[in-house]
Amino acid sequence: MEQKRNFEIESMNEEVEQMTSLRQITAENAVFTKTDGGFISLDFDSGHWDRVNVIRLFPFTDPDKYISVRTAEERSREIGVIMDIRSLSKETAEMLEAQLTLHYFTPVIQKVIDIKDEYGYAYFHVLTDRGECRFIINMGGNAVVRLTDSRLLISDIDENRFEIPDVFALSVKEQRKLDLFL
Amino acid sequence: MILKYDLPREVTEALALTGEEKLYYAVPYDIDGKGNWNKDGYVLVTTTRIVVYSKAEVKSIPIADCDAAKTEACIGGGILILSRAGAEECLVHYSAKHMSRYAYIARGINILISGRFEEVESNEYEKICPKCHKAIPGTKECPHCSKTGGFLRSFLRLLAPYKARVFGISLLMIGAAVVTLLNPAVQRYLIDDVLRTSSGDIKTAYLCLGAMFFLSVSIVVINILKSYYCTVLGAQIAKDLRGKLFEKIQMLSLIFINDRRPGELMNRIISDTGKIREFMQTTFCNLFTVLFIFIWDMIFMLCINVKLALCAFIFIPVAVWLTGAFRNNIHRRFHLQYKKNDDVSSNLQDVISGMRVVKTYGKEKEESEKFNRLAQEYCKVQSKNEIFWAVFFPLLNFIMGLGVFFVITVGGFDILGEKLEPGELFQFITYTQLLYQYISWMSYMPRDIMNLVSSMERINDVLDQEIYVEEGVVAAKGGSQDDKICHDIKGDISFRHATFGYKSYQPVLWDINLDVKEGEMIGIVGASGAGKSTMINLLMRLYQIDDGKLLIDGHEIDSLRSDYYHSQLGVVLQETFLFSGTILNNIRFSRPDATMEEVIMAAKLANAHEFICKTPDGYNTYVGEKGHTLSGGERQRIAIARAILNQPRLLILDEATASLDTESEYMIQKALERLTKGRTTFAIAHRLSTLKNADRLLVIDNHRIAEIGSHEELIAKKGMYYRLIKAQLEMQNG
Repeated sequence: MEQKRNFEIESMNEEVEQMTSLRQITAENAVFTKTDGGFISLDFDSGHWDRVNVIRLFPFTDPDKYISVRTAEERSREIGVIMDIRSLSKETAEMLEAQLTLHYFTPVIQKVIDIKDEYGYAYFHVLTDRGECRFIINMGGNAVVRLTDSRLLISDIDENRFEIPDVFALSVKEQRKLDLFL
Repeated sequence: MILKYDLPREVTEALALTGEEKLYYAVPYDIDGKGNWNKDGYVLVTTTRIVVYSKAEVKSIPIADCDAAKTEACIGGGILILSRAGAEECLVHYSAKHMSRYAYIARGINILISGRFEEVESNEYEKICPKCHKAIPGTKECPHCSKTGGFLRSFLRLLAPYKARVFGISLLMIGAAVVTLLNPAVQRYLIDDVLRTSSGDIKTAYLCLGAMFFLSVSIVVINILKSYYCTVLGAQIAKDLRGKLFEKIQMLSLIFINDRRPGELMNRIISDTGKIREFMQTTFCNLFTVLFIFIWDMIFMLCINVKLALCAFIFIPVAVWLTGAFRNNIHRRFHLQYKKNDDVSSNLQDVISGMRVVKTYGKEKEESEKFNRLAQEYCKVQSKNEIFWAVFFPLLNFIMGLGVFFVITVGGFDILGEKLEPGELFQFITYTQLLYQYISWMSYMPRDIMNLVSSMERINDVLDQEIYVEEGVVAAKGGSQDDKICHDIKGDISFRHATFGYKSYQPVLWDINLDVKEGEMIGIVGASGAGKSTMINLLMRLYQIDDGKLLIDGHEIDSLRSDYYHSQLGVVLQETFLFSGTILNNIRFSRPDATMEEVIMAAKLANAHEFICKTPDGYNTYVGEKGHTLSGGERQRIAIARAILNQPRLLILDEATASLDTESEYMIQKALERLTKGRTTFAIAHRLSTLKNADRLLVIDNHRIAEIGSHEELIAKKGMYYRLIKAQLEMQNG
């Protein structure tokens, strides 16, 4: 159905209009259901979607707010936006959070245990909110990005991402270890 | 890339393979159900089952129950999704480390589902060595633990073609060492046996002075020669490697090139070879000299006086540690300073290039404050660093000098006790100074060598590449390039279950089946990114298909000789690339031996002759970069002339008439009509009117063939093609 409508001029116009409007998804107008396969389906505004994806619009600053709910196909479209995940029922919020956990994997570094640099690569040993781990970054590239004054995003050679929300919350010793990569 | 990891015993036991069943893939998944790191999970795929193993649970799914497998890329990771009984199921969650691995696994599962038993293999490289867990610098083998990667071996391999010169340089290096070590011995003789004895005469003293002068001059001469020959050799090696690399990169398939970041191959040609030159000039140049001096220095010291030698040696570990610590500290500090400097300049660049925006929004004050803050930080770091340098560098030198001081003290007492001659002490002090002088140099050596090894690995990675590819081809298709068929293309083309993706985890074409007869013109339509150009890339043999077959007149495309095959293709792309050179050279690019008459005829057929006549120098007009500028339509017609000249058997047009004005489009249409007559042609176009001559049209959507048939058939069908035509007409009519 989606494909067919793409080529009709009126439906294209309609779609353009739809894309510009911000449709709010609330506890009242939407029902999320967990599927057997571990995803979620949505009934909203007289429509039904077997599977929807959820995207954070402000993944670093507001991870629980402004969640875009989108169709699951490759050329996905926004169905609506949840303004605050906490405004939904507890079960729904948990369900959505599980989906977000599935979609986002950006461990937050809580403690820098050790950093060794050797021949252009730095070997990190850290404690994250997802458990202890070791990773390697390339020192030549822009592996460490300063998103704001205090927030760092580190990408390792496998393209895994690690976040440090507040670099100044780390001990002075840990900060000194990190200095080399900033 | 590893698709079958070695499994711990408990996993193998839990898997419990039965009779005929074979394990194809075994890959860990590193994120658990709660989103935490996970160490003991595996996905195991056998010929009949998919098993998800964790310590807590072993889930087994028969392949016969599955419809399809796919992977979805998430942020910082991905998920493996299995479709069965019409529903999608998330099987496992993994980090970015395993992203491409799982794409291969999904492909492998799909092949098993389709009832075939081919095993998918991956040519991608591991980024982290599975043995030593160190980063692999973009090469196949880990330089830290590969068998071939031993420094000495690869270095010798590098130097092998220059044996004679290396031998000469080695002699010079040893000469330099001998001369350096000889000088203090002569000085000792002068002091002890000439100056301090009654038997010494002025003649011997002059002789000694002469010898010392000769040795000093020799050191200078040998060093100049040594540096000269090393520089020449380094430049020569770098030049030869660059040539070899360039040649090899041109021969490699595009998949190898596309696998790497755009700058990476350029880096290998320019920077990695440059690093080898640098190593030859700075490190290799002194390598034997320093090693020779270091070893003999220590031996001489031990021979002269064991006690004194030990006194001198005691400080070596301290000195090594100190230089290392000092260097690390300095590195850290100046890196920080460099970064701060970088911040200042990038802020400056931001603001100056965005000055209009800053001014229109009236943000000058804020920007000034920001800049001042950055400049202040830079200033602070800089002054701190300079003070550190000023204080610690002399201090370091003083501490390094302590070894000599210690030797003088102990030796001085020995002289007073008449256990040691003053000349001997003098010689000893010189040796001690030599020893300490080279400690800092030696401490740099592991880093220099590792840099060299990485560069060499990266270069060898490219140079050895063909061997791997060829091996694959030889094994799979039976025959090297020379044994392949020189086939004259007739024009029957078949795709059979062809599947292909540029990235392992994103298939761009999926299960394409198509038979094209000789002389047929096929129009390809579809949305951007649907896979139209990819299909043509496969036909042009720029990439190898991943699964399935592509047959040219019944021969598999891989079994044909590639240069012979390419010589029979005619290609006109949307953006015509003209090389720097004349119009003549550009038209003759496809057939350098074409006569002038043939070139003019081709240009006439391509409707290019008229505009070429109007250019200042006719066919000799210089075009391309920095040359005479031609319009898009004119370039296109040159490309068509190029294709006509070649008399291709298979013609490929990729948006050849897009983004042209109506008149030139008409001219090109006419030229193309002449060109396509009687030739198998594949043409891509967004503007459907340009495909009206096509015998059949192919609508590609969602990576598959959605519709196929003649214009009339597809209109009658009222499917996607019909809607596309209608939409285009409506848009034209406003």
